[in-house]
Amino acid sequence: MRSEEVIASLKEFISEDTLIVSSNGNVSRQAYNFLLQPQVYLRGSMGLPMSIGLGLALAQPEKQVLVITGDGNFLMGLSSMTTIGNYKPSNLKIIILDNAIYATTGGQETVSSTVDYLKLLEGLGIQHYGSLNSITSPSKLHEAFEILLDSKQTAVLHINVEEDIENLENIPWQPKEIKNKFMKKT
Amino acid sequence: MIKSVDILNYLSANNFELSTGVPCSYFKELLIELDNSADIQYIAATREDEAVGIACGYYLGKKNCFLIMQNSGLATIGDAFTSLAQLYEIPLLIFVSYRGLEPDKTFPEHVIMGNVTEAVLEAYGIPYWNMKGGNWREILDEALECMNKDSSVVCILVEKEVII
Repeated sequence: MRSEEVIASLKEFISEDTLIVSSNGNVSRQAYNFLLQPQVYLRGSMGLPMSIGLGLALAQPEKQVLVITGDGNFLMGLSSMTTIGNYKPSNLKIIILDNAIYATTGGQETVSSTVDYLKLLEGLGIQHYGSLNSITSPSKLHEAFEILLDSKQTAVLHINVEEDIENLENIPWQPKEIKNKFMKKT
Repeated sequence: MIKSVDILNYLSANNFELSTGVPCSYFKELLIELDNSADIQYIAATREDEAVGIACGYYLGKKNCFLIMQNSGLATIGDAFTSLAQLYEIPLLIFVSYRGLEPDKTFPEHVIMGNVTEAVLEAYGIPYWNMKGGNWREILDEALECMNKDSSVVCILVEKEVII
């Protein structure tokens, strides 16, 4: 299954008041195209989606905050996961869509295939985590979504995905517009 | 000299509920006071750019967070400024210790950054103030007004033994 299919199938599991932070590149474009708008669509700040999610989760403790990030962004911001492992806001959920490449820059390999995500997440002190090596059926994916989003603790789901066939167009909203629309909703 | 507790009371009165950053010895007392503060929580970030991410997320959640870091952190957080805080026009207040000035000559690791600190801020287009003591409330008033009016990042440079 490809990243865009995973994000599209996430739609029915997300409530209207869930706040989503999506990492720069294809992930935020897919979140823009396939999930309820407006959300936080990052244009740059590679490595920071989890930190932004942490800040948002601390500011809005009554709301669910979902960070959707690619593996390149996750690995760049890896040290921020130690902070999340320490403070553990219960409303923060993270999905890592791992295609093992930098897709928008030409498909260069990341080092993600070296990482044992289950051991890593356990080592970070995150108690609720899962990893899907391959998505054999939609029901398996849906079950993983439910476990993640129903968790009463900080939770992380790592999913190995196939390479997307094409890169989507850039998000038409200007960054300031993204901020204003998101804050109006929040 | 400025008492840490007075600064925290000022910031709390100006609706700051969170702080984050990476420590500097110049902020040792301030960080102790933050630990004791019932009004402002401190999140210990691993890197300064991470702290910018946390503060920006907190602002997007409609609350205010200030940052604390050494001027060395200004070299780490360029992209967090230019492609996040400044790009999305997110107001941020950052206290930056001004290392590398004369008293720091025994710490060569700070000297080069100390020489270029103000030039770096000017290059980023970030307004900054050198907060030395007596008129600190006026300086923070002015910095916050600028931050809110322009939705901009503002930096407060703090030399050695200014905050106690």
